[in-house]
Amino acid sequence: MTNTGHSQEENPLQPRPYRVREYYRETPDTFTLTIDMAVDHDPGQFVQVSLPGIGESPISICSDSRKFIKLNIREVGRVTRELAGLRKGDTVFLRGPYGKGYPMEQLRGNDLIIVGGGCGIAPLKGTIDYIENHREAYGEVNLFIGYRSPKDIIFSRELEEWQQKYHLHVMVDQNPAGEFCYDGRTGFVTEAIREKVQDNRNKVVFICGPPVMMRAVIGILQEKGFNDDQIFVSAERLMFCAIGVCCHCMIKGKFTCIDGPVFRYDQIKEDEQE
Amino acid sequence: MPLMETYRQTKADWKRFLEALMKGRELIAPVKRDLVRFERVKDIEDIHLKSMSYFPAKHWFFPEEQTLFRFSKKGFEMPKQKEPRRVFFGLRKCDLNAIKHQDMVFIKQAKDPYYKALRKKSLLLGYHCRTAPSPFCFCESLGLPDFFDLLYYERKDHFVVEVGSAKGKALVKKYGRWFHAEKGLTPEQRRIKNADTLEETDIGRFYDHPGWKEGVNLCLSCGACTALCPTCYCHSIHDEVTVADPGSGERKRQWSSCQLQGFTKVAGGHVFRKDRESRFKHRIYHQLEWFREKNKVPLCTGCGRCIQGCPTRIDWVSMINRMKDDEHRT
Repeated sequence: MTNTGHSQEENPLQPRPYRVREYYRETPDTFTLTIDMAVDHDPGQFVQVSLPGIGESPISICSDSRKFIKLNIREVGRVTRELAGLRKGDTVFLRGPYGKGYPMEQLRGNDLIIVGGGCGIAPLKGTIDYIENHREAYGEVNLFIGYRSPKDIIFSRELEEWQQKYHLHVMVDQNPAGEFCYDGRTGFVTEAIREKVQDNRNKVVFICGPPVMMRAVIGILQEKGFNDDQIFVSAERLMFCAIGVCCHCMIKGKFTCIDGPVFRYDQIKEDEQE
Repeated sequence: MPLMETYRQTKADWKRFLEALMKGRELIAPVKRDLVRFERVKDIEDIHLKSMSYFPAKHWFFPEEQTLFRFSKKGFEMPKQKEPRRVFFGLRKCDLNAIKHQDMVFIKQAKDPYYKALRKKSLLLGYHCRTAPSPFCFCESLGLPDFFDLLYYERKDHFVVEVGSAKGKALVKKYGRWFHAEKGLTPEQRRIKNADTLEETDIGRFYDHPGWKEGVNLCLSCGACTALCPTCYCHSIHDEVTVADPGSGERKRQWSSCQLQGFTKVAGGHVFRKDRESRFKHRIYHQLEWFREKNKVPLCTGCGRCIQGCPTRIDWVSMINRMKDDEHRT
């Protein structure tokens, strides 16, 4: 789906005003905005979010509604820190959605393994919401989510629900105070995958997280016999235009903004380690 | 291939023709000052055709810095543009094809209204290189097609003029008194001599070749190559606020360069292509391989300005030729 929400005659770089419907503080450095943008999109696609005078940032959509979009944002740069100041009723400027998301339609009938590291779980939450809306189309769903520590747990409201509906495996790298964190495991998400995933039969895997984590997860999956075309990764790159011209997000000729951000691993594996 | 519609024009008529076009249009042509660059020309005598321009004509369509929007707290508004009509004279084959390639990027792919506004009111009058004007030229290695409204071949006392588009045809019709029928040129006459120095354009197999090292070791990552390139289109977008009212200002785009280390730096500080070698090869491979994978033609048009203007003169064309020679030896 490449619905950009604008006709061809219009300026593709034009940000438009939308209203913030909800602001929710997830962790000390992440928050989720619900925005009144009624638009068709695929899970894994992203929007360009602007504040006048501050700049523009690509943020992936972490919901699956046609009435609003949710954006989970980590305060890590100038724009995202300013976005943290938005509250219900405020105006924010958006354009998009952009890029290729997870090919959910094509993957019907498969068991799904979803692996997220830290704020990498944000685009994947879009796929989880999609699965919720099309539950009969997919088999068993395993969620592997790794956080740095219990206080970095984003989507804590949703985790409760996911624990009821899916096989949820939450890992925290460190938990010195022994705080509650779902199945309470300490360690890397890779350990849980090694333990719980038996074979590659009828399974596809979605991975999003820090590059080191993605490489480690892919390594384990390959040991377990997964083929590269069973793995989908979501890439993060610097981008300005989001329409394949500014070139900042290019990975050996592929544009993260239009050919990605979701890539099937066999299509990018030779290229991403540059 | 059918012969081009071809005319003869005396040098005096050429001057009259350009002067006529200058009524209601800006004339942009190469002018020699410290260096040769495409400038607004008031006096046709200032046009410099003896050597190739040091800078390409790129900035006339894709300026170094350009306002995309004016903004206030209320939102983003595209500035009303009224671009002047322009006639370009003296564009070489490399320059003309570079415009064609940027058209693919900005018009066909991005539907960019800023570029399109500057481009659509322009007439492109080319100037044929009889022989390579610089030792770094390699346009003929790239099999570039014809792309011009009119193309001028300089002879001793006249020009031979080919018509390459409907716009060009309309010009000849309107100013017919200065165009006289002429026999079409042969492929040999249309060729550019000594401009086929790049011996291999399909360089996919050389990606891990140690031959890149000699160039990479000289690279300063300064970005001169990309700034001088007629086809490079990397850019960044930033907001600039006014001091008097920080709530308002302009969203601008500026040229950027894939050779700079910060080009890929994401929030949090991670840099992709941290080493010079991967950045150096990124430029060459985008130019010769990756653009072609999507657009059927290489992005590079063989002007050699990136070599001529490189502070350490990294001659990557010779490097590729040596990689190819190595292949035959082993």
